[in-house]
Amino acid sequence: MTPADADAERSAASAREQLVELIGLHARAMLRMPWVQMLVVLGIGFLTLSFVSPRTFLAWAAASISIELIRARYARGVLRRGYEIDPRRVHVAFVALAAISGGVIGVGAMLFLPKLPVYQQAVLGATLLVIPAAGVAVSQSSRYIQAAYALCLALPAGATWSALHPGQSLGVAGLTILLCAVLILAAADGDKLLLRSVSIRHERDRLVRDLEQRNAEVGAAMERAEQSAQARARVLAAASHDLRQPLHALSVYSAVLAARPSPETLKEVSQNVDQIVRALGNLLNGLLDLSRLSAGYYVPERQNLALESLLADVCAEYTQSAAQKGLRLHCEWASIRLLGDPVAISRILRNLLDNAIKYTEAGEVRVTTTLEWSDRRAIAVLRVSDTGKGIPLGEQARIFEEFYQLDNPGRDRTRGVGLGLAIVQRLCELIGAQVEVRSSVGRGTCFSVSMPVELAEPPPALLPSAQTEATLRGRRVYVVDDEQDILKSTQTLLEIWGVAVATAQSPEETDLLFERAGIPDLMIVDLRLGSEEHGALLADRLQRRHGIFPVLITTGETSSEALLQANQRKFTLLQKPIAPEVLQRAIVGSFVSR
Amino acid sequence: MKILIVDDHALFRAGLRMLLATIGHEVVCIEAATIDEATTLIAQHTDLQLCLVDLALKRENGLDAVRRIKELAPQIAVVVVSGVDDYATIRSSIDAGAMSFIPKSVQPEVLTHALQHVLSGSVYLPEQIISTAGDLPQKPVLTPRQMQVLACLSRGLPTKLISRELALSEHTVKEHIALVFQALGARNRTEAVIKASRLRLQELPASVRG
Repeated sequence: MTPADADAERSAASAREQLVELIGLHARAMLRMPWVQMLVVLGIGFLTLSFVSPRTFLAWAAASISIELIRARYARGVLRRGYEIDPRRVHVAFVALAAISGGVIGVGAMLFLPKLPVYQQAVLGATLLVIPAAGVAVSQSSRYIQAAYALCLALPAGATWSALHPGQSLGVAGLTILLCAVLILAAADGDKLLLRSVSIRHERDRLVRDLEQRNAEVGAAMERAEQSAQARARVLAAASHDLRQPLHALSVYSAVLAARPSPETLKEVSQNVDQIVRALGNLLNGLLDLSRLSAGYYVPERQNLALESLLADVCAEYTQSAAQKGLRLHCEWASIRLLGDPVAISRILRNLLDNAIKYTEAGEVRVTTTLEWSDRRAIAVLRVSDTGKGIPLGEQARIFEEFYQLDNPGRDRTRGVGLGLAIVQRLCELIGAQVEVRSSVGRGTCFSVSMPVELAEPPPALLPSAQTEATLRGRRVYVVDDEQDILKSTQTLLEIWGVAVATAQSPEETDLLFERAGIPDLMIVDLRLGSEEHGALLADRLQRRHGIFPVLITTGETSSEALLQANQRKFTLLQKPIAPEVLQRAIVGSFVSR
Repeated sequence: MKILIVDDHALFRAGLRMLLATIGHEVVCIEAATIDEATTLIAQHTDLQLCLVDLALKRENGLDAVRRIKELAPQIAVVVVSGVDDYATIRSSIDAGAMSFIPKSVQPEVLTHALQHVLSGSVYLPEQIISTAGDLPQKPVLTPRQMQVLACLSRGLPTKLISRELALSEHTVKEHIALVFQALGARNRTEAVIKASRLRLQELPASVRG
């Protein structure tokens, strides 16, 4: 949407609102009108009843009050329906009702004026001209409503007067027109005032909304800062204990060294110091990583990567340490490509594997990836499960806290520093993944990390044989589907096979594609395109227009009118879900049969 | 000399063991990480003379360890070796029956010095508690007997054990204790131990050590 469009849309919305506003005010005024009209009728009756037949007057009075009752009733209906109304239609109705109402009084003038003596004529004439003027003040009318009312009243009245007093006709006509013009201008002024008040209210609403939003933003930012300060204080408290402990130990060893120990002791000292320094280094690195991750300095990359090869490399690092503990390290990879951060993902697996091997004394550690679907979104799930001692249910929520360690009463830092899972969790938050743990004591633990697969990956990237590849390479294939994900995944798959792919999401886009690039070697089209024209009709129309080309129709349906039509046109149908090899066979088949 | 080290940090225990073995003569160290382990070892080793206890045990309070040890074997001199070293902690350690208090955060040479003190049977309290403000009486003149009683008090011995060790009646021991408190202006054992330490009364050889 261009800014100009947006402006136009805003002003259209504002015009509508102004009209709604006006209708509301007018309708509210209309509720009172029967009473006002009753007074008018009584006044006119007082003036005329001795000169006109009562029957004529009563008929006129009934008509006049009825039309006001109708207006009031309609107005009540409009007010009750509130914003559901179509303001334009209601406005037109109000204009029409105003015209009839004015007209009835005009007819009154035609009926009564000729029958009256001159004095009463003058009074009635003046009264009739005052009525529409009062209308401007009373009825909050739009200029159209006002014009309809005033004209329908003043014209018959003026005409009748002119007929009765031909000598004054020019003056009367002029005055009538002048009166009407002034009234209409007054109503237009009212319109403008209304518009201004509406726009002022808009402005105020916008300011209030802005202010509220700003407040909410500030509140959220403060809350985040608060939380992060709390987290930092917690980490700092835990860290200061964990940093001081190895320092105290180092101080003891330093005292031992100063006391000239025996050679055996010296050897033990050096080993222990080495352990302490390593643990201290790990702790510091972990803390630095954690603070880097939480301070938001780490910006995850989005690289197109093959998950299995990335993770297999990490697993290879752990083969030896698993073997040393007598554990089997079993890996099973699904072939998944995704947009992700390779450093973060491998760090997650590294920390999980670290833990799994650390807490498992016998059995195996399994690492698997699977591609799963949830809400039509592809998710890569990395699972690291072990046959270790498991985590009691009560502690499962706490294991992701910094410095939390299971069953390490000695806080023996050779067993890690208790930051691994905290880092896993931070990394998962950063890359939009979720980490979960399932565990039962004595049986083992399974961590699963669910990562969004934004690059919908072709299921097993089936590589074509040399002959097939020769058939496929460089072929121009159009893929038409209204679902972006499916388009993407099909395109990726076909491109792996060397096919030149162009995609379209709707019949219109497909038309454009044909206009621009001519007919393809093959069109793969989904039966359902989210439009009136389904895939088979589209293919049929394009073939009539541009000439024959092979068509594959994909569908998840098993019976429908569309399916029947596709069958009648003898297009090749592929039933979803379509395995890559089936798709490949069908594509090759469509070229060969040609 | 047989020493029990109670600390939840294995590498720290090992360091203390090596340091004690290097600076002491014929020192045998046994180690415990929890109060239960400590009490078991105390029951097994009746010849324990000294016990070094950390206050921050995993899930356990070291002060409880001090009290339990003093209950089970009041003759063992308990020394608290702790990472925290504020005044209140030191006082409550002595209240619980500890004889000395060594902060873990001291310089290595101070640590060695403190342990040497402790091995020789004297009281060690950190500098800051010795220099803490508070009115200090003139260095009182105590009789040798009173010095012996004070040394026993410092070790956290109950009256009954003091009377046995000094071959005096409990009544006599109580009188001596009252005189020592009076001389030091102390209301209880903890104040007496702290004041004696501030007055450096304890640096005289403890004649009770046999």
